Amino acid sequence: MIRFENVGMRYGMGPEVLRDINLHLSHGSFHFLTGPTGAGKSSLLKLLALSHRPSRGLLSLFGQEVSHLEREDLPDFRRKIGVVFQEFRLLDHLSAFENVALPLRIAGAEDDLVQKNVKELLNWVGLGNQMNARPPTLSGGEKQRVAIARAIINRPQLLIADEPTGSMDPEMGLRLMHLFQELNKLGTTVVIATHDIEMIRRFRHPVMYLEDSTLHTTTPTAYLARFEGM
Amino acid sequence: MKFSLLSKPTELQLEKDASSKYLPVVIAAMVFLASLALIGLFSINSAISDWSGAISGNLTVEIAYDKNGDMDQRAEDAVAFLKTVPGINEVRTITKAETAELLEPFLGRADVIENLPLPRLVEVTVSENSALDLLATATQLENTVPGAHLNTHRPWLDKMLLLARSIQFLAAAIMFLISMVTIVIIVFAARTGMVMHHDIIEVLHLIGARDGYIARQFQDYFARLSLFGAVPGLIIAIIVMQFFTYLASRLEAGLIQPPSMVLEGWLALALLPLLVAILTTVTVRWIVLSSLKRMM
Repeated sequence: MIRFENVGMRYGMGPEVLRDINLHLSHGSFHFLTGPTGAGKSSLLKLLALSHRPSRGLLSLFGQEVSHLEREDLPDFRRKIGVVFQEFRLLDHLSAFENVALPLRIAGAEDDLVQKNVKELLNWVGLGNQMNARPPTLSGGEKQRVAIARAIINRPQLLIADEPTGSMDPEMGLRLMHLFQELNKLGTTVVIATHDIEMIRRFRHPVMYLEDSTLHTTTPTAYLARFEGM
Repeated sequence: MKFSLLSKPTELQLEKDASSKYLPVVIAAMVFLASLALIGLFSINSAISDWSGAISGNLTVEIAYDKNGDMDQRAEDAVAFLKTVPGINEVRTITKAETAELLEPFLGRADVIENLPLPRLVEVTVSENSALDLLATATQLENTVPGAHLNTHRPWLDKMLLLARSIQFLAAAIMFLISMVTIVIIVFAARTGMVMHHDIIEVLHLIGARDGYIARQFQDYFARLSLFGAVPGLIIAIIVMQFFTYLASRLEAGLIQPPSMVLEGWLALALLPLLVAILTTVTVRWIVLSSLKRMM
C-alpha cells in the first residue's frame, strides 16, 4: 500500500535530511515511527502526507506512484490520508465543530451527513459539550482531540499522527490509542510518530526508527531491547 | 469560475488582514479617476459631434473692405452667385449692424464699430447630404466678387478635432494607467494575504482542498472589497460631474459646453464597478493559483 524505494529528501538546495529510505507498509498495518529529535521524523511524515515531494527515489501510495503526480490529482490522494499535527494546526477562528467538519465540507459532503458524523465523533472523543468552543479556549488535550477528530472524520486509508498523545493525560492518551487501534482494525493503516517508549511497550506494534537520516524497521521487542541496552 | 459575492470565506480570515483593509479606499480613488476620465471621453465625443454638426452645415463668405468699392453691391453679387450653386439651401447677408453687434463684446459700442472699415459677411447654409464642391465654389466666388473669400471653418474645426482627439487619447491612456496601477495594488495585496495565511493554506491543502477552493476565497473577498470601493468612487465622480455641469452651464460660453453624457456613457459608468470587480477577481485568481503552484 505504501512503498518507498531509495527515497531521498532535501529542502531546497540544502543537504539531504532523508537518505535511501526503503519502506513497505501493507494495508491495515500499524507502525510506530521513532528516533531522536532532528533525525527526520517530521520530514518522513511530510512525505507520507504528500506535503513534500521526494527529491529522489520512488514513492507509491495506494498502489500509485505519487512522486510525479499531477497537481490536480493530489487532493484526491490527500483525502485518503488523515494527519494529526504535533502543534495541532487548528483554525482558531472556527469552532471545534467547524474544524472537524472542514475535511467533509471540502470534500463536498451533504450538510446532514456533516452534522451527524461530526457530532458523533466529537461525542466519542469526549468533546460533545465543547462543540462550539474555539481552539484558544480549549486545553492542550482538548485541542489534540479536535485535531485527531479532524484527521479521522473522512475515514482515511492512512492515518499519520505526530506525537498524538503528547498533550494528554495518560487515561485520555490510552483512550485515543484504542481509537487508533479500532480504526486500524477497520483497515486504516496507522503510522504514529512518538518518543513515548511506554506506548511502544504497551501496544507492541512494529517500530520504524530513524538514525542518521536513514530508516530502520524492527519488531517492538528488538527495539525495546536495543533501547534498554543503550 | 464561480463568482459568489455574498458567501463569506470561512477558513481564511482575510478580512482581518491589515494589508487589504484599505484596498476599498484605493479602489474608490482609482474608480473616481477612471470615472472622470470616462466622463471626459464621452463628453468630448459628444462635443465633437455637436461642433461638426453645427459647423459643417454652415459657411461664411467674407468680403474684404475696399474703400473704393460698393460693399453692399458686392454682398448682393455674392448672394446672387451663391443662390445659383446647387446644394446651397439658404444665403443671407449679415448686415453692418449685425456685424457690429457681434463685435461689440470685443471692441465696444456698436454705433462706433459701424463706422470702422469692416468686411461684409454672408451666411451660407448647405443642404444636408449635399455633394457641394467647396473648392470650386470658392474659386468661382473669388472670380465673381472681388475680395470675396469662402470660409468653410474647416481648418479651425480640424484643429479643434485634433485637440479633442488628443484629450480623448489622454483620457484613454489615464484609464489604462489606472487599470495597471489597480492590478499592481491588487497583486501586492493578494500576495501579502497568501504569505500571511500560508499555514492555514497548507492545512487546507493537506486535508484535501483544491487550489480553486482556496483561490475562490481570495477572489470573492477581493471582489467584495473592490465593489465596496468602486461604488462610492463612482457616486462621488457623478456628483463632481454634476457640479461641473452646473458651473459650465452658468458660464453660458458657446465652446465650453457642460459635460453631456450619452446613453452609452451612462452605461459604461454603470458597468465600471462591475468591471473593476471582474478585473479584481481575474487578477486575484491568477495570482493565487500561480502562487499555489509553487507549494506542493
